[in-house]
Amino acid sequence: MADLSLNLCGVQMKNPIIAASGTFGFGREYDELYDISALGGISVKGLCLGGRMGNPPSRLTETPSGMLNCVGLQNPGIESFIEHDLPWLLTKDVAVIANFFGTSIENYCQAAEAFANTGVHMLEMNISCPNVHDGGVAFGVKPESVYEITKAVKSVSKQPLIVKLTPNVSDITENALAAQEAGADAISLINTLTGIAVDVHKRKMILANNTGGLSGPAVRPVALRMVWQCAKKVSIPIIGLGGIETGEDAAAFMLCGAQAVQVGTANFTDPFACPRIARELGEYCDAQKIANPQEIVGTLKSY
Amino acid sequence: MKDIDAKVLSSEVLAEGLIRIILHAPEIAQTAKPGQFIHMLVPDNAHVLRRPISLMAMDKNAGTLTLAIQPKGRGTQIICDLKPGDTVKCLGPLGTGFDGKGAETIYFVGGGVGVAPICGAMDGFATESSCAFFGFRTKDHVYGMTQAPCKVVAVSDDGSIGEKALVTKPLLEAIEAKRPDLIMACGPTPMLAAVQKIANELDIPCQLSLEERMGCAIGACLGCNVKILLPDGGWTYKRVCKDGPVFDSKEVAFGG
Repeated sequence: MADLSLNLCGVQMKNPIIAASGTFGFGREYDELYDISALGGISVKGLCLGGRMGNPPSRLTETPSGMLNCVGLQNPGIESFIEHDLPWLLTKDVAVIANFFGTSIENYCQAAEAFANTGVHMLEMNISCPNVHDGGVAFGVKPESVYEITKAVKSVSKQPLIVKLTPNVSDITENALAAQEAGADAISLINTLTGIAVDVHKRKMILANNTGGLSGPAVRPVALRMVWQCAKKVSIPIIGLGGIETGEDAAAFMLCGAQAVQVGTANFTDPFACPRIARELGEYCDAQKIANPQEIVGTLKSY
Repeated sequence: MKDIDAKVLSSEVLAEGLIRIILHAPEIAQTAKPGQFIHMLVPDNAHVLRRPISLMAMDKNAGTLTLAIQPKGRGTQIICDLKPGDTVKCLGPLGTGFDGKGAETIYFVGGGVGVAPICGAMDGFATESSCAFFGFRTKDHVYGMTQAPCKVVAVSDDGSIGEKALVTKPLLEAIEAKRPDLIMACGPTPMLAAVQKIANELDIPCQLSLEERMGCAIGACLGCNVKILLPDGGWTYKRVCKDGPVFDSKEVAFGG
């Protein structure tokens, strides 16, 4: 059986499968179905200081081979997470990645600092949520602002900093490079693609926020292309995500240059998706006579 | 809560625009309670979101679940096309369910496809003095009337069965004759809002079963949240899948 382990920015992980932020809560619900220690990591539900109510319903709808959501970063707050959820999560043998966001550069820095000395293994900075108006994606579109916020947050971060990038830009590699130059330890991509859904009978938007973020297998070709493009430009690790449903999907992202992957929407289709994908990745490696999937990272042959 | 391959025992037309599917799902039927639901995978590898479907009946001994499904979109149509012998992935039982403990007289209110979970609630909690009030579009849409464990009053939009009235009319008349200890309701939002208004004004305990599109259905993704009023006058969002789908009528805030 292949060895799936890796060292991501100094953090040892048993496999490259990470539950994607926003689809997995803080892991408790899925732990009722299986021991979440089976995963390499968990990127927790996006957190901010003081918490956030999120958007009104309806918050999600299905689309062809995908879904749109506009949950709007509802979360109980970093303070509540550290007090009530993190102690339990740290009893699990899994890398805890604190996904966080803020409303200003100062607020982002304060959020990152709040995780100092908490036991959280990595930080994932969300500058790419399409569903909130104050903050989020406002910092993630222009390379200059990606650089500025990454530089500021990195200078106060006590853990390795992952910058999560939005695909809703003309050239994502510019933002990947900006994050690297500003000192990011890794980048994760892609966040959701902005879309809408229309109820033709009511002649009305289906989502209460009007727009939502598209995820699921529908976005996978776009995500693969962006990971592949970024991998050619940056030297820091890439965490790939976008519609991964199987071990072979995970392998495709790794061939394109991702050291690790995140699984989001697939958790809804199959609540056991994360451990199944880890197992399938191992089976793929065995069949391909690969000792560790890190061997294939970025080895995709071009035509 | 188990994710199992449930076997379709039968699939047949229950009423106009409604299919009844009976599943062999012993692991879920063992612990299922009235008002709970299952999250069913659309068996075509193309739909990423499962469909939450409430339980119309559950038989622990036979290990079966009975569902009433409206083929509303492509996903539910594919589910309704399942044939006996097919298997389908189901996660459940999920949600809180109805609670009729200690109630002597319960008035059950169901509308359309919402009659199905009310049938489950009646099987679980109906007493001799209880009564059900069902609203249907026409007589062709009627189901759940036979084998009911208590008296049932049906009304319809066109008067082809029972009175041409909203279901709240016979409900109000019954309340005036005898005040119930509890009301349980499931149906379209306008119906639930009307039942809520009656129950809250008369201070009758009332449980409403809500419906919302769902992502994970286990409480992790917050995709199905609805506005819930707090005792202090404030409000919060709660998860229909995990905190509900059954909520106290005093805490539900219809219309955002």
